[in-house]
Amino acid sequence: MKFQIEDVTVYFPYDHIYPEQYCYMIELKRTLDAKGHCLLEMPTGTGKTIALLSLITSYCLSKPQSPMKLIYCTRTVHEMEKTLAELKILHNYQIKHLGPQARILAIGLSSRKNLCVNPTVVAAENRDSVDAGCRKLTASWVRALASENPDVAMCEFFENYEKAASAAVLPPGVYTLQELRAFGKEKGWCPYFLARHMVQFANVVVYSYQYLLDPKVAGIISKEMQKESVVVFDEAHNIDNVCIEALSVSVRRQTLEGATWNLSRISQEIDRFKATDASILRAEYNRLVEGLALRGNLPITDNWLSNPALPDDILKEAVPGNIRRAEHFLHVLRRLVQYLSGRLDTENVEKESPVGFVASLSSHAGIDQKTLKFCYDRLHSLMLTLEITDTDEFLHIQTICDFATLVGTYGRGFSIIIEPFDERMPHIPDPVLQLSCHDASLAIKPVFDRFQSVLITSGTLSPIDLYPRLLNFHPVVSRSFTMSLTRDCICPMVLTRGSDQLPVSTKFDMRSDPGVVRNYGKLLLEMVSVVPDGIVCFFVSYSYMDGIINTWNDSGILKLVFIETQDVVETTLALDNYRRACDSGRGAVFFSVARGKVAEGIDFDRHYGRLVIMIGVPFQYTLSKILLARLEYLRDTFQIKEGDFLTFDALRQAAQCVGRVIRSKADYGMMIFADKRYSRHDKRSKLPSWILSHLQDANLNLSTDMALHIAREFLKKMAQPYDKTGSSDKKTLLSQEELEKLGDGSMHEMSY
Amino acid sequence: MNNGAGRRINGAAEEDDDEDDVNGDLDAWERTYTDERSWESLQEDESGMLRPIDNQALYHSQYRRRLRSLSSTAARIQKGLIRYLYIVIDLSRAASEMDFRPSRIAVIAKHVETFIREFFYQNPLSQVGIVTIKDGVAHCLTDIGGSPESHINALMKKLECSGDSSLQNALDLVDGYLNQIPSYGHREVLILYSALSTCDPGDIMDTIQKCRKSKIRCSVIGLAAEMFICKHLCQETGGTYSVALDESHFKELILEHAPPPPAIAEFAVANLIKMGFPQRAAEGSISICSCHKEAKVGAGYTCPRCKARACELPTECCVCGLTLVSSPHLARSYHHLFPIAPFDEVTSSHLNNPNCKLQRNCFGCQQSLLDPVFGLRKQTRACRCVPEVQTVLLPGL
Repeated sequence: MKFQIEDVTVYFPYDHIYPEQYCYMIELKRTLDAKGHCLLEMPTGTGKTIALLSLITSYCLSKPQSPMKLIYCTRTVHEMEKTLAELKILHNYQIKHLGPQARILAIGLSSRKNLCVNPTVVAAENRDSVDAGCRKLTASWVRALASENPDVAMCEFFENYEKAASAAVLPPGVYTLQELRAFGKEKGWCPYFLARHMVQFANVVVYSYQYLLDPKVAGIISKEMQKESVVVFDEAHNIDNVCIEALSVSVRRQTLEGATWNLSRISQEIDRFKATDASILRAEYNRLVEGLALRGNLPITDNWLSNPALPDDILKEAVPGNIRRAEHFLHVLRRLVQYLSGRLDTENVEKESPVGFVASLSSHAGIDQKTLKFCYDRLHSLMLTLEITDTDEFLHIQTICDFATLVGTYGRGFSIIIEPFDERMPHIPDPVLQLSCHDASLAIKPVFDRFQSVLITSGTLSPIDLYPRLLNFHPVVSRSFTMSLTRDCICPMVLTRGSDQLPVSTKFDMRSDPGVVRNYGKLLLEMVSVVPDGIVCFFVSYSYMDGIINTWNDSGILKLVFIETQDVVETTLALDNYRRACDSGRGAVFFSVARGKVAEGIDFDRHYGRLVIMIGVPFQYTLSKILLARLEYLRDTFQIKEGDFLTFDALRQAAQCVGRVIRSKADYGMMIFADKRYSRHDKRSKLPSWILSHLQDANLNLSTDMALHIAREFLKKMAQPYDKTGSSDKKTLLSQEELEKLGDGSMHEMSY
Repeated sequence: MNNGAGRRINGAAEEDDDEDDVNGDLDAWERTYTDERSWESLQEDESGMLRPIDNQALYHSQYRRRLRSLSSTAARIQKGLIRYLYIVIDLSRAASEMDFRPSRIAVIAKHVETFIREFFYQNPLSQVGIVTIKDGVAHCLTDIGGSPESHINALMKKLECSGDSSLQNALDLVDGYLNQIPSYGHREVLILYSALSTCDPGDIMDTIQKCRKSKIRCSVIGLAAEMFICKHLCQETGGTYSVALDESHFKELILEHAPPPPAIAEFAVANLIKMGFPQRAAEGSISICSCHKEAKVGAGYTCPRCKARACELPTECCVCGLTLVSSPHLARSYHHLFPIAPFDEVTSSHLNNPNCKLQRNCFGCQQSLLDPVFGLRKQTRACRCVPEVQTVLLPGL
């Protein structure tokens, strides 16, 4: 269908549109007009992605004089593929209506692991080894060597790509990763380098968050992106954590050992070079004198990742004299590693600010702040010079340099925490030195500054006013949409009491009470007897899950269950079997952990999840030093109260967990929040509005038997056939005519 | 004496205890809530007032929907008139639950009885068998046959529930039986499923595919909630899946299976079947009945081929195996192929118009259509009694 939003003609590839999609598009349009940033919350299963894509592409089409690029960030490769598939449908539709002028180039960019077509390289098991395998075949010096000696292996795809040079372009169209690989195979060009090259010219780029947020990776992409771009972060409810992780480094004993080994390896290489070809080292020295502008001089494949999060001056300044020579740099690194291992030997927990750390570092090891700042770039320059290709071996020393650069650069927003052992297992010494970032806005700041519009969207962004504060930006639009439903297909309940009327909670002082554990067990058991097919049960932590399952097992109230563990393979297997049990009608329960992999990425739609039970409020581990430091920082800098942040964080996790069950409007599911604390207003009000609007007052303070009764009634009601388009007074699907009939005014009434 | 009296008192006390146990350990006031659930028949309106749920409008809309669907399918649709239906009754632990009053199984039994009678009334040429699932094993309760009484009697005797339920075992058993029936018969299974899971010995997906291959139409009526596997089964085999809300809804759902469903296209080959139309024996004649193996006086039917005597129609002759029917039976089945066209609705204002030439009385029951007592009926030219009247009249046509 085709319709007008103000001056933009929107092409929408389906015959019907949900009212909330229409509202979403209006808000988006305003953001683009204002050239600002926005925050939009819309429940999952309402077609966010297609609404977004069709509006932005249509916007570009209607304003050909100002070309715009869409950068779409997803969390997983799977989501990336889904987005590209949607875009393909949309693109075909637009071409059908507008002809060839609607042609765009859209590509997905992923790591070599997902794009490589060279069978020998892609056979490697993890991402880093694929990267290293590729470099081994494509680095400039390897190729130079190969031109003299035909025995040296090269990647034919890359060679073909290089030969084609500027002729190697993708014709316009939408390419999923699969198609990109197929195209590469057919032409004999390396899809990875082709994609990286085409990113500059593409109208739509879909890639992972890391490519924009992680300073180590961002350099290759964000450098080339024009300012007139729209950046979309999809499923962005955890964006602050992603930002923080991108800038946090932790150093363990193994890291230091590995780094020492790396250093001796590098020094051997230096000796070898000195013996054979000292001129290379001299050339590097000269380059460093001129400053770190080395990027432009090197061929594209060797262009390792640089650091856009660093202040500009570092790029202009010359490298300090004391680390220009390779041997001197090695000495500095050795001293740094030694100092760090000395610090790791501590007996008690220490917390320090970066400024204090740098001061003590310069007094003990004689390394000043400026030197630290350059470590990361200096190391890469050195590794290029030394022609080291197996980069996956050198991860440890890279970590150390990363750490050094961050410590040297930022005085605020970070803290250094040294813990001699894990808090939960005090008798096992496992010292760890963490440089933890507290300020999510640091990593995302360049993105906000650089690009015209940044859209942050997800199914759960409540409370929506907290995100601008955390990320330190000013959205022009921040809105939360609810879902228009033909029937009440979600049934959230707050369960506060067990069947014996005693309160249930995972509060610290109550969680190990046998009565509470028994009540949770009873709840699950009773629910299993009335809910068909799949049930998912989320716990607050692995340790609590283990504890409670043990107790249940001892008291003999356990049935066919599958459990998520920290092991990925085991979890995948459990999930697979769980799905099979649901398919075959056996029914099953899946135990999982809030904040786990399952809670984030796996959908339990349709019969795979008819009920989610959220046992307890998934607060973070409040005694964690990092969390405490972050809370303190947030309080001091952004005036966000500790309690507020903790509740916000816990509730968004809970909402994320229960949101797993419903992925479309035709689906239905129940959600039980089993903790008495959910009935309190301050907690409840932080749930997303699409859950809140279905949470009836009667369901706020239930005991197990009441919940059971509601569940029975709900399931029966949902099993009845229903009319998908909704009754006449409450339209949930709009056709083109209906959309035209509705003026803007009435649409607004519906949405507000 | 004393001892005896004491024992009696004890005995009485024990009886009291027994009675209490029946109702669980609930107090009297709790029982009134759990039994009657009076709040369920109430709903809240916009202003927060409580009012009873308006069932009448609901039923009326359902009735109208059925009329519509009838008219839309009025175009020639082939229907399976000779049906071989297995009713699978789940007697697992879940069937003894008390959310239907007095228990699920009692409700099921009651309505299966109505269903069987209705089924034979509408499909006189068809046959029914009953299979039960208990303790994870499927048993054949009655073999496929045409006598409603024998099925009902057999069912009423066996209503104990226990153990798990197994859909696969039941389907396998039924599949085995239905594979033997002649190709002109339509194979159907109606599963009344109380449980929420199925405990199977093997891969149920294979069994479903097997049923699909042998063209068995499987329909499920659930009593608790929608189950994926049941939905899948019905989708694959072309049946319908529904879940009962309450007792009356359950009755409605089960009776929907009484009229014959459209035949599966690729399977519906035209076939000639040999049938006998026996003569009714004269009053007072004495003959040996072939079905009961005893001498009987009075009404009976004589097989036109072998002259054996049968007590009731329709049946298969015990001696020569000929299908014995009477012409009303055929006509009644025939009625499904050419249903009566839906009536035109006539508003009361139209009826009041003196120029209107339409009849003012229902031609079936002669009630005045203007009579306000008939509320709902007023809206059709004939009241709802008519279809039934016509069915009976049809043989004479």
